[in-house]
Amino acid sequence: MSFELREHTADVAVAADGETLDATFGAVADGLAAAMCETIPDDGDRFSFAVQAENREALLYEYLADCIYQRDVRGVLPVENRAAVDRTGDGWRLDASARGVPLGTIDAREVKAVTYSEMRIEQDSDGWNAYVVFDV
Amino acid sequence: MDTYDADGITLERVEEYVWEIPQDEEMNAPARVLASEELLDQIADDKTLQQLKNSTQLPGVRKYAICMPDGHQGYGFPVGGVAGIDAEEGCISPGAVGFDINCGVRMMTTNLSYEDVQGHEEELVESLFANVPSGLGGGGVVESGVETVEEILDRGVEWALNEGYAVDGDLAHCEDEGRRPDADPAAVSQKAKDRGKNQIGSLGSGNHFLEVQRVTDVFREGVADSYGLSADQIVVLIHCGSRGLGHQVCTEYTREVEQAHPELLDQLPDKELAAAPAGSRLAEEYYGAMCAAINYAWVNRQLIMHRTRQVFERVFDRSWEEMEMNLLYDVAHNIAKKEVHEVDGEERELYVHRKGATRAFPAGREEVPSAYRDVGQPVIIPGSMGAGSYVLRGGESSMETTFGSTAHGAGRTMSRTQAKDEFWGEDVQDELRGQKVYVKAQSGATVAEEAPGVYKDVDEVVRVSDELGIGDTVARTFPVCNIKG
Repeated sequence: MSFELREHTADVAVAADGETLDATFGAVADGLAAAMCETIPDDGDRFSFAVQAENREALLYEYLADCIYQRDVRGVLPVENRAAVDRTGDGWRLDASARGVPLGTIDAREVKAVTYSEMRIEQDSDGWNAYVVFDV
Repeated sequence: MDTYDADGITLERVEEYVWEIPQDEEMNAPARVLASEELLDQIADDKTLQQLKNSTQLPGVRKYAICMPDGHQGYGFPVGGVAGIDAEEGCISPGAVGFDINCGVRMMTTNLSYEDVQGHEEELVESLFANVPSGLGGGGVVESGVETVEEILDRGVEWALNEGYAVDGDLAHCEDEGRRPDADPAAVSQKAKDRGKNQIGSLGSGNHFLEVQRVTDVFREGVADSYGLSADQIVVLIHCGSRGLGHQVCTEYTREVEQAHPELLDQLPDKELAAAPAGSRLAEEYYGAMCAAINYAWVNRQLIMHRTRQVFERVFDRSWEEMEMNLLYDVAHNIAKKEVHEVDGEERELYVHRKGATRAFPAGREEVPSAYRDVGQPVIIPGSMGAGSYVLRGGESSMETTFGSTAHGAGRTMSRTQAKDEFWGEDVQDELRGQKVYVKAQSGATVAEEAPGVYKDVDEVVRVSDELGIGDTVARTFPVCNIKG
């Protein structure tokens, strides 16, 4: 799984891929962390959270929005993100965990929010890839 | 040149500085770009025109969707975009307001001259940086519980007045006197309030900043007198918004609107334009929550101004009253407001969406504070650290041309990634120091991303605004000290 930051006039975009949807979603979240902080230290404790949505795109939106929410209320940058995506009876569920690096220990820039603009989640012969624009 | 082609979109010149994308079968109205050819070349360089065209597909767009001279690509709706959407037959779109609700700018005047400040710049920039919370996780001037947040959401700057963080004059000189009466704190989620409680009075990061400036030029003496501006005077400019609380409001309502009104979303080319039909429960709830977030942002800037007054008191060993540190004006950028405008000869109530655009009402409008009603509403246009900023007044043509709006800044031309490739933060700081501009930021990367070279020519943006009569140039300022998150 991997991600890269893509250019955008005002904001920042993340392109990510992985063999599975789990890996791809986790890679987008790692890209979100990289958009906020270039050098990430090793400290911080893991924490878990979960989100639900009616379709895959909405699930990715909810997941990344919750990463940002967790950042502000816990005061940590979520890194080394792990995601487990499952279909439920009426939609989708994602169980997430991340290592929370205390914001006080890093120089980080704020990403304000995840957007739907130009969002893509696609499957090809190598697995899954996703593209997300973040409001900076 | 009477037409302009860019990536399959053809614009026709309507008049000098006014370009129109004619209405086609997908659009509910034409779109207009207000720009010189130089600015249009930059606007056409990314997806701004496509996003502007997309925005005309929102139901109820009246007259035309408009891109201001500083417009650039955003997400869904372009930054620098204005759309007047019918408040009875149209819709309201959280994405067309933006995540940072009431991201805006305020200017505070002083009776200090540039000479008074020279020699104190280092102390001033260090003290401001130490005392004005900034950056990610930097806390706020006030850190409190949800009950306080709810009071702020409801009462806006009135709350700050009662708590001793403001004086009457601050309210009198704030857009809407610092309070949106339509605010509904109950429509703001617990999650948003939780994000907001530790960020009250904080700059955040990115392009937000606090800048001490000197007035370098006065172009309209009479208006400048009314605004309390004169050459060589020191002023303070504060640019920030509603922080995590506002971001959460937009995030959640975008999702709720998407789920509740899929039939409307299906008509739109970009999911970020998701909108609630006028009159629907969600349109009312979002409007109430957005107005509450607007109040939060005004309090945010008020507390930063309060802290700035305290810093100046320590550095210059005088009370802020002695230094006449008075609010000139506070203007909102990312909002949708119910306003009455003339459309096809008829008065209509519209949700005027201004995303990265400034209200610019001319003289005589009752919404303009009484102190400025004879000359027009102040408009503050922040520029880059190396080019300075402008104070304008709402122009006589703004109501007819732009639903009473003008530009909001210089507008970016370069991505942050490219900026970091092309500029090194310390070099930018050194170059600015050569121009006697003292900059302090949480990181060198932030300085590089906000280097003067990444912005459009603010002089040209303001010139076009002035020529169109939507915002008249009053004064120009240049940075002395700048702090960034």
